[in-house]
Amino acid sequence: MFSLSRLHMIPLLPLLGAAYLILFGRRHSRTVVQTIATLAVFASCVVSTDAFFFGLRESVHQGGISELVYPWFSAGNVVVDLSLRMDALSGLLCLVVTFIGTLIHVYSAGYMAHEEDYPRFFAYLNLFCGAMLILVLGDSLPVVFIGWEGVGLASYLLIGFWYKENANASAGKKAFITNRIGDFGFLIGMFLLFRATGTLDIPAILDSAKSGGALVAPLWLGQPVAFWAAVFLFLGAAGKSAQIPLYVWLPDAMAGPTPVSALIHAATMVTAGVYLVARMSAVYMLAPAALAIVAVVGALTALFAAIIGFAQNDFKKVLAYSTVSQLGFMFVGVGTGNFAGGIFHLFTHAFFKAGLFLCAGSVMHAMSGSGDITKMGGLAARLPWTTRVFQVCWLAICGVPIFSGFFSKDAILDGAFATEIYGHGLAWVGPLVGGLLLLAAFGTAFYMSRLYFLVFSGPCRADEHVQHHIHESPVSMVFPLVVLAAGAVLAGFVGIPPAIRELFGKHGESTLAVWLEPAVGAPLEVAHRTEWSVMGVATIVALGGIGLAYAFFGGGYRAPAHAFAKKMPGLVALARDKFRIDEIYTAIIIRPLQALCRVVFLVVDRIVIDKVLIGGWAFLADIGGRMCRFAQVGDVQRYLAVFAIGFAVLVWIAARPATPEVEIAIEGNHVAVKLVDAEADNDDLTYSFDFDGDGTPDREGRDPSATWIYGGPDRHTISIVIRDERWHTQRTLKRDIEIRQVP
Amino acid sequence: MNLMLHEPSLLERSAFIVLAAGVLGFALVTVTRKSAIGALMALVGSFCALAGLYATLSAHFLAVLQILVYAGAIMVLFIFAVMIMNRDEDNPIALRGLFLRATGVIATGYVFYRAAWIVVRERQSDVLSTASTLPIPDYGTVASVGRILFTDFLFPFEAISLLLLAAVVGGVLLSRPSRPSDGGGAL
Amino acid sequence: MPGYLYILVSLALFFIGTTGVLLRRNALFVLMSLELQLGAGSLALLTFARGLGDQKGHVVAFFLMALAAAEAAVGLAVVVSVFRTRKTIDLDGINELRN
Repeated sequence: MFSLSRLHMIPLLPLLGAAYLILFGRRHSRTVVQTIATLAVFASCVVSTDAFFFGLRESVHQGGISELVYPWFSAGNVVVDLSLRMDALSGLLCLVVTFIGTLIHVYSAGYMAHEEDYPRFFAYLNLFCGAMLILVLGDSLPVVFIGWEGVGLASYLLIGFWYKENANASAGKKAFITNRIGDFGFLIGMFLLFRATGTLDIPAILDSAKSGGALVAPLWLGQPVAFWAAVFLFLGAAGKSAQIPLYVWLPDAMAGPTPVSALIHAATMVTAGVYLVARMSAVYMLAPAALAIVAVVGALTALFAAIIGFAQNDFKKVLAYSTVSQLGFMFVGVGTGNFAGGIFHLFTHAFFKAGLFLCAGSVMHAMSGSGDITKMGGLAARLPWTTRVFQVCWLAICGVPIFSGFFSKDAILDGAFATEIYGHGLAWVGPLVGGLLLLAAFGTAFYMSRLYFLVFSGPCRADEHVQHHIHESPVSMVFPLVVLAAGAVLAGFVGIPPAIRELFGKHGESTLAVWLEPAVGAPLEVAHRTEWSVMGVATIVALGGIGLAYAFFGGGYRAPAHAFAKKMPGLVALARDKFRIDEIYTAIIIRPLQALCRVVFLVVDRIVIDKVLIGGWAFLADIGGRMCRFAQVGDVQRYLAVFAIGFAVLVWIAARPATPEVEIAIEGNHVAVKLVDAEADNDDLTYSFDFDGDGTPDREGRDPSATWIYGGPDRHTISIVIRDERWHTQRTLKRDIEIRQVP
Repeated sequence: MNLMLHEPSLLERSAFIVLAAGVLGFALVTVTRKSAIGALMALVGSFCALAGLYATLSAHFLAVLQILVYAGAIMVLFIFAVMIMNRDEDNPIALRGLFLRATGVIATGYVFYRAAWIVVRERQSDVLSTASTLPIPDYGTVASVGRILFTDFLFPFEAISLLLLAAVVGGVLLSRPSRPSDGGGAL
Repeated sequence: MPGYLYILVSLALFFIGTTGVLLRRNALFVLMSLELQLGAGSLALLTFARGLGDQKGHVVAFFLMALAAAEAAVGLAVVVSVFRTRKTIDLDGINELRN
């Protein structure tokens, strides 16, 4: 059988690597550390591959391979197990994560060679891989959440890897906190799903969604549970995958080492949001309105980020905004019900974006650590391998035909224009989104080409000193670059659309769509006509963007670029300043929060807690002490006197007979008094009753009851004296009665 | 049921009255005297009368011990103390908090009034009988009390001796005259 | 004589002793009154011992006596000590434990 197909090994190996390196990494040489880390991920890759290609062959239609690793907890109705599942979707992502992860580990060996804290870096990288794999393989929402949080943690640790710089630490914090806001959404979504279906297992939830029922019941504002769960889950996805409004952390995250940006903020972690939506596809399909929201947000983000990318001057920042934009593409894909399309773009994007980032690393390495593209240029001659890889990935991301990006972008555009899932009311969403994406695709081509031309073409604008050091990267860095470039070309061929397949005599949907069907549902049907027109328009758009960029920046800053900058300085500045979104957030959210915290601190902490709650008790204790001090006279005789007085009081209280219940029954002018619950076993009690109020007892004796007949209607007071002969004490009770009528 | 089989004889009655009067009378004198020596003497007298009362209760051993220990040793101790301090009082009653303490006295009186009432009421009870025939022939003698003391109560007996040792040591320590070398005795 | 009379004597004696303890100013007098109280207690013990025919009451009275002796010794030592430092044993002025 499949001896390697133990699912838990997949995330476990990197985690063990991380643990070992954290604890003992310092003792080993760099080579050993790097070998351990890379081997851990590579082994995970091998197991994933084995499971994917051999294990899934038969079981992919029954939901894939699942493994119950550990029964986690059960509380009442909630049973949560730590279980992993590799099905069509998660298997694909496992391959992506482990394969690209391995490449990045190899690259990092060269890139981080001069780094002091070598073991820590690789430990964190391994940690990330382990957490990401848990996220992908998780079979129930809490397990996914563990991975979700884990990658957030790893991201924070890695962004702020060079923590000694304040800016880096702040960037890490920003990422984590923004993610947290998204996590809130994830949790609410999870709770809603649990409340409706009673389970947190993903297959069970998806089954419940497919059969309708609980998830379709209306919840708030007339929308079904599925809608709200979908929206909140998307909030989580927007946090993790940097969509509006929670994308602000991704550009700042470029403060981390470039391999980190490549792995986490391009290929894998940021795709977790897309993965989540695709995973919960059945739930989303129940709420077209939610899908519309996803698609619109994705499209707006794609366009918005692209515009910001026009004016960025830092290499990695351009790529960061590009990532945000491309993620928007992916969300449009899944938002139009075209889950296979979104995942396809995720797949291709992983290769070319990682490739682009590693090229950035290569370039910055050559430029002595600087990423300022205004001071680059002409690197094509000096960095041949890097240039070639960059060219491949560049053409891929622009969507030039044959390259992978072309096929995946077209898949998304096809889905946008051809989707029918919104129903009549929202049917405009599809074309709108498609149009926005075309604009964004144009923008993508433009800014990526701008990047290429400014960095690699024309004369070099750098200082003499820096130019001297420009050199190609070592083999350990070039090798992964080449592999990724190959991927950028070849990855697209798993998603060749049906229209082209027809040309080769094959029928039906693309390989990838067919493969993913058991996990995400049937692929979108697109008319061949639509496909061809989209392909044409997209190619024109891509070439147009490249052409425009060439006009502006081919071989350096050209006249049109200068003219534009002169004519619209404000616009350029706005784009460069990322539309001041961060500043807006600071003003609207952060400053008020800080002010509120200050107020709370001053009021609650200083006054309420310190002065009132703590000082108050101290004050009371002080007052109490002062009052009690009066009793401390230091005089034994007075103490004794008080003792004697107290004792006498006690004796007095104890010696009197107990108070009984007095039951008075009046019939006409006939009164019966009965004392109940007196000391039943006390023989020494005598009772005397005075009915007529003349001071002399009318009835006396041992009997605790007496009767009397009154003369006429009147108010009387009955006086009862209980005497204890032994102690020689007594108790007097008085009761008022009124005689109403005489019979 | 009172096991008294006969009325007390005239001798017994007068003996009791004299002794009781002596005890209470001398006690009153002790408490009201201004001079310490005078009070002490009255106290001695009270103790002697008390010893006599013990004897009428057939507690012979204790009667003798009362004279020897109380009237003898303890009172001598007091006399030595009085001689050291040699004080006479011009105002015997302490003044601060007098009201409180007077109230305490009255409270005590109330408690005893209650107690007395019960005692009088229950005077026929077995517990208070003083039968003319002794429960055992040598009741209250040195031999029989000693027997109990050295068998059932041996442990407390030894413990008391330890207590006395501690008291002796404590007394010596406390009353050592202060020398510059050890900072003033134990105080 | 009937036992209750002895008890009444004991009560009266204890009362007189309490009066002395509470009201007198001189520490020595307080100690003396204390002895009166102890004597009253012994009397009651012996009375009940006679009534019950049990000599254990005598034993307890015996221990009481030893205790009284020890207490008188130590108490007097304390009074003497206080007298040495303060030249007075007037209880009005001895209230170091105040507050």
